[in-house]
Amino acid sequence: MGLTEHIVMRELDIPDISDFAVYRRHGGWEAYRYALTEKTPADIVQMVKDSGLRGRGGAGFPTGVKWGFLPKGVYPRYLLCNCDESEPGTFNNHQIIDKNPHQLIEGVALSAYAIEANVAYIYMRGEFAAAARTLERAIAQAYEAGFLGKNILGTGFDLDIYVHRGAGAYICGEETALMESLEGKIGQPRLKPPFPAVAGLYGKPTIINNVETLANVPRIVEKGVAWYRSHGTEKSPGTKCFSLSGHVNRPGNYELPFGVPLRELIESPEYGGGMKGGRPVKIIIPGGASAPWLTADHLDIPLDYESLAAAGSMLGSGGVIVLNDTVSAPYVAYKMDEFFKHESCGKCTPCREGTHWLVRTLHRMVEEGHATAADIDTLHSIYRQMAGNCFCLLGESAVMPIKSALQLFPHEFEALVKRSSSRNGHQIPLIVRH
Amino acid sequence: MTLLDIHQAEIETILARYASKRSAVLPLLYLAQDTYGYLTDEAIREVATILDLPPTDVFEVVGFYTLFYNRPVGTWVLQVCDDVPCCFCGAEELIAALKHSLGINEEETTPDGMFTLQRVKCLAACDRAPVLQANLDYVYDVTPDRVDTLLNNLRERAAEARKRGVSGRFAEDYEFTRDGRLVQIERFSPYRPREFAGEASPPPVTPPPAVAPEADSGIDRPETRKASPL
Ligand SMILES: Cc1cc2nc3c(=O)[nH]c(=O)nc-3n(C[C@H](O)[C@H](O)[C@H](O)COP(=O)(O)O)c2cc1C
Ligand code: SF4
Ligand code: FES
Repeated sequence: MGLTEHIVMRELDIPDISDFAVYRRHGGWEAYRYALTEKTPADIVQMVKDSGLRGRGGAGFPTGVKWGFLPKGVYPRYLLCNCDESEPGTFNNHQIIDKNPHQLIEGVALSAYAIEANVAYIYMRGEFAAAARTLERAIAQAYEAGFLGKNILGTGFDLDIYVHRGAGAYICGEETALMESLEGKIGQPRLKPPFPAVAGLYGKPTIINNVETLANVPRIVEKGVAWYRSHGTEKSPGTKCFSLSGHVNRPGNYELPFGVPLRELIESPEYGGGMKGGRPVKIIIPGGASAPWLTADHLDIPLDYESLAAAGSMLGSGGVIVLNDTVSAPYVAYKMDEFFKHESCGKCTPCREGTHWLVRTLHRMVEEGHATAADIDTLHSIYRQMAGNCFCLLGESAVMPIKSALQLFPHEFEALVKRSSSRNGHQIPLIVRH
Repeated sequence: MTLLDIHQAEIETILARYASKRSAVLPLLYLAQDTYGYLTDEAIREVATILDLPPTDVFEVVGFYTLFYNRPVGTWVLQVCDDVPCCFCGAEELIAALKHSLGINEEETTPDGMFTLQRVKCLAACDRAPVLQANLDYVYDVTPDRVDTLLNNLRERAAEARKRGVSGRFAEDYEFTRDGRLVQIERFSPYRPREFAGEASPPPVTPPPAVAPEADSGIDRPETRKASPL
């Protein structure tokens, strides 16, 4: 089910696409020129709506629909490109910037035109320092070529794009926390509504989209809606850059049409190349750390938003983590909840306290080797108190690893208890990690 | 010399990007951190003054974000990802090797002030595990046998690192060549498909051995992200 032509990861078709001249020679910036000179912003919004493009940042919300939420006649408006990419197991935005930066910049510019914004910020996680420089250089080239700045191509449209680096906080990927951070505050989410489209950055109408989402836009405008929709499924059109990691032979980013079976991503020699050492699959986390776990029973699931939701998980960020039978489920849950505890912004109690107690309990059970039957009840009780009660999705996501582990591998928790009690109180830590 | 004296032009460019001065707090803190080595109370107050903010607001920001240091750190801050999936792909072995070579634990600095070691969460490079950042320069595929090469390289570049600071404002990415040297990845490097010519073909997938799989050798990965400059 391979692609004849990549939509986003075009470096696979055109090796030098990261070079501005090469990008131009292959039609780069022409979609933007066409839009500015021949189409109205509303035309572009309609095109994106018709394409069925869905946000790649996690929720899969239809991009054109989101753009349509902007209140009429209210300016200035802002476009934010979310490149906070910090979800464990997700690394496709990183590659898009390294290998095809001009397409992202063109996508940002084109989308800014569509939503009638004159300023766009690309918010990058602080660790993407080198990638920020790559983008800054690509932006400078676009200014030089006359695609950014004042009165672009004589059309009267002005646009400035700025790169803004965060400073190490996963929560700043949450859209309203990102706006707080961009306003110079600590990254704590805002209450919604009002939604960003109505009151976002500096209280102005704001659209926020993921890197991969925006990188799709120039190709939709260039090649048309029908071409775009010829990829993927009816409800999840286009392609997704899946980040495949863990115990596979060929970890990496693979751009595949939505609907490709999970098995193909993992096993095809062109993609994952199968499991390292041929060991069996134990846990599959299909959409970054926030996604409920799947197991080898789910290998035939098509990778699209609907199918994964139907299987009780989510496509999320498209970061597919595959772990083999050498890992301990409680340990994986512990490590993942340690992530959420570390990244909890501390604003609301269920998440701040819940992640803390999950990690404390799991640490004792898994790392120190002291587990009692009551601990299992405690874990259940903690995540139940968190679920549905957190201020933002980070806290809700923190429920997933422990809930999945307890549901799918209850016997491993019981085994921890048994091994602990058979040790009769001797303080010998269990070795459960590989 | 104040921050404003040293970096007047850069500060003005930064401020011009935003509708509100306060938005410049992260970029200015990076600037201050690189100028003074870490964020002293004085430096934080200086940033507050430039931005007309109450100092407490800036102290709060420094405390919230992990890339700001309000205490002295080494010339090189080494941040190793120990998240899932890296922790199953050699991160723990890498951390152990670094601790052994440096003679320090996590969150400590070597007595010569050269290295600070930290564990961090996912660095969005899980396909290149084990991975770390040295002053936010990415270094990919750092298997434990490559630690000495890495540390020597960083020691050689210490003067440069002191000049640039720890905030990554001039960051580059690095990887190892096939013969084990550490090289900078060209910015805007073309994508090059993985060439298996001249290399032993990867071993066929065999039925599961009774033992745990070997640590990732860093060899059999496709070049979908960074192309080797060689
Ligand atoms: C805790 C948390 C972290 C998030 N991190 C990211 C991120 O790193 N990148 C991203 O694009 N979206 C992230 N999101 C989703 C954003 O809030 C937002 O939905 C997304 O940027 C919208 O873009 P899209 O419509 O193009 O998907 C995160 C959400 C939450 C709750
Ligand atoms: S759920 Fe967690 S991250 Fe979200 S607001 Fe509450 S404490 Fe902050
Ligand atoms: S888990 Fe280490 S880089 Fe993602």
